[in-house]
Order: sequence, then structure tokens, then C-alpha cells
Amino acid sequence: MSESARKFIFGVALLLAAGALIGWYYDETLWGLLVAALLTLLWQIRQLLSFDRALKTDDFDNFRVGDGIWQQIFSRVQFERDRGKRRKDSYRQLLREIRKSTDAMPDGAVILDAENEIVSSNRAAKLLAGLKRKKDKGHRIDNILRDPKLTALLESGDLGMNVDIPSPVVDGRWLNCRVVPYGGEQKLLFLRDVTDRIRLSKMRRDFVANASHELRSPLTVINGYLDALADSGDLPAEWEKPVVQMRGQSLRMKQILNEMLELSRLESSGYASRDATVEIATLLDSVRNDFERPTVAADIVINVESPARLLGRAGEIESVIVNLLSNALRYTPPDGTVTLTWRETPTGAELIVTDTGDGIDSEHIPRLTERFFRADRGRSRDEGGIGLGLAIVKHVLARHNAELAISSELGRGSEFRCRFPADRVVAENP
Amino acid sequence: METSDLTDHISKRFNKDIEDLRNNVLAMGGLVESQLQKAIVAMVSGDSELGLKVANDDYKVNDFEVSIDEECGRILAMRAPAAGDLRLIVAIIKTITDLERIGDEAEKIGFLASRLAAMDRPADSYRELKTLGTHVLHMVRDAMNAFARLDVEGAFDVVREDERVDEEYEAIQRQCITFMMEDPRSIKRVMNVTWAARSLERIGDHAKNICEYVIYMVQGRDVRHTDLTDATDINPG
Repeated sequence: MSESARKFIFGVALLLAAGALIGWYYDETLWGLLVAALLTLLWQIRQLLSFDRALKTDDFDNFRVGDGIWQQIFSRVQFERDRGKRRKDSYRQLLREIRKSTDAMPDGAVILDAENEIVSSNRAAKLLAGLKRKKDKGHRIDNILRDPKLTALLESGDLGMNVDIPSPVVDGRWLNCRVVPYGGEQKLLFLRDVTDRIRLSKMRRDFVANASHELRSPLTVINGYLDALADSGDLPAEWEKPVVQMRGQSLRMKQILNEMLELSRLESSGYASRDATVEIATLLDSVRNDFERPTVAADIVINVESPARLLGRAGEIESVIVNLLSNALRYTPPDGTVTLTWRETPTGAELIVTDTGDGIDSEHIPRLTERFFRADRGRSRDEGGIGLGLAIVKHVLARHNAELAISSELGRGSEFRCRFPADRVVAENP
Repeated sequence: METSDLTDHISKRFNKDIEDLRNNVLAMGGLVESQLQKAIVAMVSGDSELGLKVANDDYKVNDFEVSIDEECGRILAMRAPAAGDLRLIVAIIKTITDLERIGDEAEKIGFLASRLAAMDRPADSYRELKTLGTHVLHMVRDAMNAFARLDVEGAFDVVREDERVDEEYEAIQRQCITFMMEDPRSIKRVMNVTWAARSLERIGDHAKNICEYVIYMVQGRDVRHTDLTDATDINPG
């Protein structure tokens, strides 16, 4: 028992004893005790009321009377209250600091719960996407930012992906949206202004397209004169070889420009339409016939295992086959074989080009589809490759929702596998 | 939170049905917005492929309309909603009709864009169409925002905005008439521009309609065909 509690009990007992003593003196012991008890009660009631007032008005100093257990209680409560207030203030300060720092971020950040409802967002999210911190709390993010691409991203649950959507606030600006998992069920949506990146890649595409286009016309003139010169027959002997070589190189240049134009066209267009069907079997035959010239030494085997047809553009699929086949032939020795296979799989259909050639070093495989990439700098150029073929293949396949898988073993040969999804494949002619 | 008005039912399934319905309407709105945005870009940048893509993608908007309509019918039949829920369903049935019309107009603009891309382009590359288009796109976006946030103030702003769109449309029409009088050879091209402007103006009207349904949904007041100053005077919110 504490010192103040002991004092309190002693005080009350003393008061009661004094009352009883005075009562006994006047021969009314009980009355004396009663009066003393009433006085004690009144005093306690007064203290209780002033404590109540002090709690309500938060003004402890004015209502503190006397000294004793009540004053101890007063002081303790006051102390706890002040400490709570100080702690609250410091938390509030901390929260303000955190909010200030998230507001200072140039990227928009939105915390979403499991149902994609907005928990909180920062200032950049308001500037970039028009999200209002208080008003939009509890609304689903795809109700406020309604771009179909973002909705699809959130629905897919594939949190590694990101999409570019037009900004709903500023016209002509683009936002990159990325969703990352965060604290259990929650998600964090990042919004970044990527207008410059999109503008830059458009500028690059336009530049390549325009430059190729502009270079083509002078080249046609040069080509024409070189053709005429080479065919005229009355060239001095020492000029014959240079003119023929110049003609060959200018034709090659024309081919490069054409492929660059084709690439920039493929890059700037979206998915290929599904209006037309492509008969793969006939396409494979016609491509093989184009290649059957005396210069081709390796065997071409065609292996059509399915009558399925493909939804897409015949011209582009043909260029895929031509590019893959010419690549394979280039690296396959005369006694080797190149096999073209078309077949259905559980997930759609595949076009496979396998060869028994030199194979590709595994470290080069990831870079094969880059423009002008060469695994072996020394030899490829002499054999007529341009370095755009696989880039074109990759873009055509992307336009057809398909993917390219490359596997290879040095000295054994390589396999190029184009996997088309089921919704691009028509199984049988009705 | 305002949405709690909508999601406060004894039946959890009913809550979910209504929430899903609302989300679907907003997803449809998002699709329509992006269609319109692409159509305007196709028109201004002369991108015929994008224009045709917009025209070909209109079926997605129509699919949305059919499925939402069906869902509304199902809820009306099975749940017999009352008061706020009934207003919500009625407003949604009307809203999707207008959204579908906006989709149709965007399809038309996409088609016109692909046709105009093949003709000569004026020096200003249809700046006036771009201004009107951006204006209308913002109206549609704000209308859907008002729908999402049940924001009566925002809805009134859009309704007011429609007058300015009408003025811009008038100006474009006058300009087109001048062009046609100056150079009769341009009539074919300018006619197409007039059609596109007309479509944009119609979209503005549809956005205004949607906002009127939002006001009806939240406050239960029909502000169609009324003077706007009266409507805002008795605005309790």
C-alpha cells in the first residue's frame, strides 16, 4: 500500500474517531459518528466533482484543492494525459513527414486493397491521374481510371506487367501504370509520366521510316544506271568487275532499306486482323519452290501434320517462313536437312523450323532478334544476311499474339519454334 | 462514404450484383472513352489504320450494352429493387443506351478519319476538330467520373459545358460553309469534316444526358428539359 493511501485511510479513520469521541462526550456517540461520516462524504463528493470538471475542461491546476490522495490522482492523470498528447503530436508529425515525402515523389502512388479499392494516394497521383485523396477513398481504381488496358491488367492479376494509358487529366500525355504486391493483400499502383519516352520512340520510328523512304529514290536511280552499264556489254574490261560489284551492293542496300521500312511499319501497327485465314500448307510449298534453285544444297523437308489454318495476314506469315528458312539454309552445310513442321498443340499451333547446321552459341540466343546483331562478325556478311530478318520475324509474331522460342546446340543444329495461341487457329474447314 | 448508400443491403449477393453492375457500366464507359480518344487521334493525325480499328472495335461496346441490359433485367425481375436501387437500375439502363450511341458516333468518326486520311489535308490539320474533340472527350470523361463518384456538382458542370460545345459546333459549321463557297472542289472533303463535327456535337449531348441520369440517380430529381438555374437553386446537396 502506498504512502498516500495509508495516509488517506488514517485520515478518514481519525476523522471518524474524532466524531465518535465528541459524540461520546455529549453522550450521543452514534450521532457524532454520523456527522463525521457525512462530512467525509461531502468532502469526497466535492473532490469527485472537481475531478470531473478537471477532466472535462482539461484544466487540472485550477480544480486541484488541498493535498492528499486526490491530488496524487490529479497529478497522475494530468501526467498521463500530457504524455498521450505529446505522443500523439509526435505521431502526427511523423505522419505529416511521411505524407510530405510521398507527396514530393514525382511518380503517382496509390495503395489499393484486395478489391482494388483506393486506400490512399499521393499528390502526384492527383496531378497525373486526377485522383482526389479524400473523395476517391474507397472507390475502385478501375472506376476512376477507366482505361480498358488498366482494367485488364488489374483483372489479370499478373502483377509483373505494366501498361501505358493516356492521362485523363492532361491531353497528349501518357502514364505508365505498374502494380506491385504490397503488405499482404494490398497492392501499390505506380503511375509514371512516360510522355517523353513515347514521343522519343515515335520520333525514332518516324525517322527510320522517313530516312529509308528518302534514301530509296536516289538509290533507284543509281541502280538503274548500274543495270544499264552492266548490261551494255561495251564496258572497258577493267571496269567490268567494279560495276558488277557496285550493282550487287546497291541491290543489297535497297533490300536493307525495304526491310527497315517493313520493320517500322510492323512496329507502328497493332495486332494483325483476324479477318483472313492463312493456309499454312500451301504457303510452305510455295516458299519451298522459291528456294529450289541450284544454289541451295541442303534438303528442305516439309512436314504438315495438321490441316489447321491461321487467322492473320498471309504476306507477313510468308515473310516469317522465308526469313527463318533462308537463315537455316545459310548455316546448314550442303549435306544437311532443314525441316519445316506445322502442327497443332494443346495450346494452339506451332510452326517449327529445324536445321542440322552449325548451331548457335547459347550466349547469343537472347540477342538474336536484335537489329543488325551478328553472332559471328566475320562470316555472316559474305553470305548475304542483312541482320533484320529475325527482328521482322519477332515483330510479325508479336502482331499475331505468337511467340518465338529458339533452342540450339553447337554443331548439332538449331530449332526456331513459333507458337500461335489457340484463338488464332482455325482447326478444320467447316 | 456515398457508395455505402448503394451497398447496404441485407442480402450480400444483392450488394455484389449491384456493385458488379456499376463496375461493368464504368468499364463500358472506359472503353467508350478510349474509342473516342483514338478516333480523335486518328482524325487529327490522319491515321487511317487507327480510324478503321476504332470502327471495327465498336462491336465490343455493343456487347457490353447487351450484357449489362440483360443483367439489369435480371436484377429487376429477381430482386424487385426499390428507392435508390431502383433509381440506380433505371439510370444505368438509360446510361448504357447513351454510351452505346457515343460508341456509334466514335465509330463514325473513325470511319470518316480513315476516309479523310486519303484526301488532301488542310494546313491546320483539322485543329478545330481537335479542339472540339478534346472538349467533348473531357465531357464524356467528367460524366463518367460524376457517375463513379456520384458527384452531382460535377454532373451539373458537364450539363453547363454542353452549351459551349454547341457554340463551337456552330463556329465549325460556319467555317466549313466558307471553305465550300471559296473552293467548290473541297466540298467533298469539307462535308466529311462537317459530319465529324456533327458526331462530336452529338456525343456532347449524350454526355449531358448521362449527367442528368446521375443527378436523377443521386437526388431523385429529373432535370431534363428544365432551366438549369432553377435546377441548381433547389439543389439540396
